[in-house]
Amino acid sequence: MAEIVEVSGVTRDYGEGGIMTRALRGVDLVLMAGEFASMAGPSGSGKTTLLNIIGGLDRPTSGTVKIEGRDITRLSGGVLSRLRRDRIGFVFQSYNLIPVLTALENAEYVLMLQNIDKEERRERVMRVLREVGLDGMEHRFPRELSGGQQQRVAIARAILPEPALILADEPTANVDSETGGALMNLLRRLNEEKGITFLFSTHDQAVMKRALRLIRLRDGRIVEDGKPSNG
Amino acid sequence: MIVRLAWRSIWRNRRRTLITIASLALGLAIAIFFIALSEGVHNQVVNEAVRMQAGHITVEHPAYQAAPAVDLFIGGVDRLRRRIDGIEAVEATKLLIRGQGVANSSAGAVGVAVMGVEPSVEAGTSPLARHMVTGSYLEDGDDRKTILGEHLADQLKLTQGSKLVLTTNNARGELVEELCRVKGIFRIGSDEIDGYLVQIPLEFAQRVFGLQPDEATQLGVVLKRPAELEATIGAIKAIEPGDYAAVLPWQAVLPEVASYIRLRRTSTWVFQSLLFIIILFTILNTLLMSVVEREREFAVLLALGTRIVQLRQQLFVESVFIGILGCVAGMLLGGAAALSLQVHGLDLSGFMPEGVTVSGFSVSTTIHALLTPPILLWTGGIAMAAMLVLSLVPMRRIGRLRMTESLR
Repeated sequence: MAEIVEVSGVTRDYGEGGIMTRALRGVDLVLMAGEFASMAGPSGSGKTTLLNIIGGLDRPTSGTVKIEGRDITRLSGGVLSRLRRDRIGFVFQSYNLIPVLTALENAEYVLMLQNIDKEERRERVMRVLREVGLDGMEHRFPRELSGGQQQRVAIARAILPEPALILADEPTANVDSETGGALMNLLRRLNEEKGITFLFSTHDQAVMKRALRLIRLRDGRIVEDGKPSNG
Repeated sequence: MIVRLAWRSIWRNRRRTLITIASLALGLAIAIFFIALSEGVHNQVVNEAVRMQAGHITVEHPAYQAAPAVDLFIGGVDRLRRRIDGIEAVEATKLLIRGQGVANSSAGAVGVAVMGVEPSVEAGTSPLARHMVTGSYLEDGDDRKTILGEHLADQLKLTQGSKLVLTTNNARGELVEELCRVKGIFRIGSDEIDGYLVQIPLEFAQRVFGLQPDEATQLGVVLKRPAELEATIGAIKAIEPGDYAAVLPWQAVLPEVASYIRLRRTSTWVFQSLLFIIILFTILNTLLMSVVEREREFAVLLALGTRIVQLRQQLFVESVFIGILGCVAGMLLGGAAALSLQVHGLDLSGFMPEGVTVSGFSVSTTIHALLTPPILLWTGGIAMAAMLVLSLVPMRRIGRLRMTESLR
């Protein structure tokens, strides 16, 4: 299996002047293609910071991050945008759908960024919305969807560009446990069927157990990396 | 998709967008209305002033402006006049003889401006004939008749039918005295005209000043459409390109009126611009608010791979939409208000019972706006351009967006 993510000696400091906060303290991490990994840890342990840095939303203070062998810490903003657009999908805790776009248009947006023609876009979006269980809801606006349905739209949006990696920041935090379980089933199915690598952060023990690999962070360091205890 | 996103985004806070559009529309409407009103007043001033004089265009001896004197006349005016009359934009042409003199009566003597006019032409082009308070205006065929201002008549204790002796120098420098009779007395409302001007028939003036029937000091041209001034001057110069006569626009003949209008026009535009800038600041505030509120959304779009330039395009298109809606509404509103005032006019005589004079020329107290396509297009264009310039501020702000902080 190929390395999708390679994080080496990453630190991240926040703050200005004399007051500095070190969010990450020399993190090393490798994710192989097709992994289904979860990151856990208390609030402030650095989970979201690490996800942001791997996703190219933030830059490390030191260290390198390679996505599919390419050091993204040296990329310009434009190249990084293209990398995110084509190779990395994001699923956020609070869905972050565009409220003025329908489910179909939200999902279609990333394909539009890839300059895919309208007919193909519509065909792919409809297929993926069916896959995530939103058949018949494509013309609903986010406000007309439940939390779980909105997260499914967000997942559809993330997988549509056929990325190598999907980063999910607490994807089940805003839904009930039953919906959370269904969403995890969906992510796992997409991982198996499409071979997409997943890395998600979570506080939820049930979610951690569903992962095939559990990475625990504390105070900006990886303190445990292996299979979940009952996984 | 960007256009669709922009259109829907502006309507997500309908009230704010409507307030923004209304602010822009109102600012533009006020600007259009007052600029059109100002232009209307200027038009009235110019119309009254130029028609009292030679018209929109004056053809005269090249040296006359520098040192006005009756010996600086032009000859062969009938042939030239016939050719100018053939120009489509020309409403009328008129011959004038202008000189200085002294009006004498048994009550005293007063220095006057003597203007020889063609009565029937002058009655149709000059407002003077409408302002007779005693007697009547001159008619073709009148000989040794004169009309004069009420103030002058009072000074010389003249009434209709009184005798008046005009003393002047003719074109050869000889002193001449001619007796004439007062046919009418006018009141324009301007001290300078009412106390100084004497009009006599052209043939009588030619005799008084020693000119031939084909000679005059001015050949005036009144236009149907003042906007065609430059083109008509060009056409006249094409007819008479030599050094024989100068072809002057009214601005050169009435520089004080032209200066007044330039000053008024500038101050109107400055004042309206300042007002509009104040309105733009409130619009800028709402534009910035709409960006600040959506920073998280923009961060998500950036995370998905949207480039900054695409976000800027979206903000630009939003401003274009708001600009178009605001400008169209403003142009309709301001245009309708100005057009209404153009048609119906506004009588201000209650506020200004003594009348209004500009540079010695009386202006009607019923003011009319003058709405022209350039006023609409310029003000609308400037408002739209200002709106687009304004959009640069939120566009710049979006460039400083910190994704991770906004996504938190």
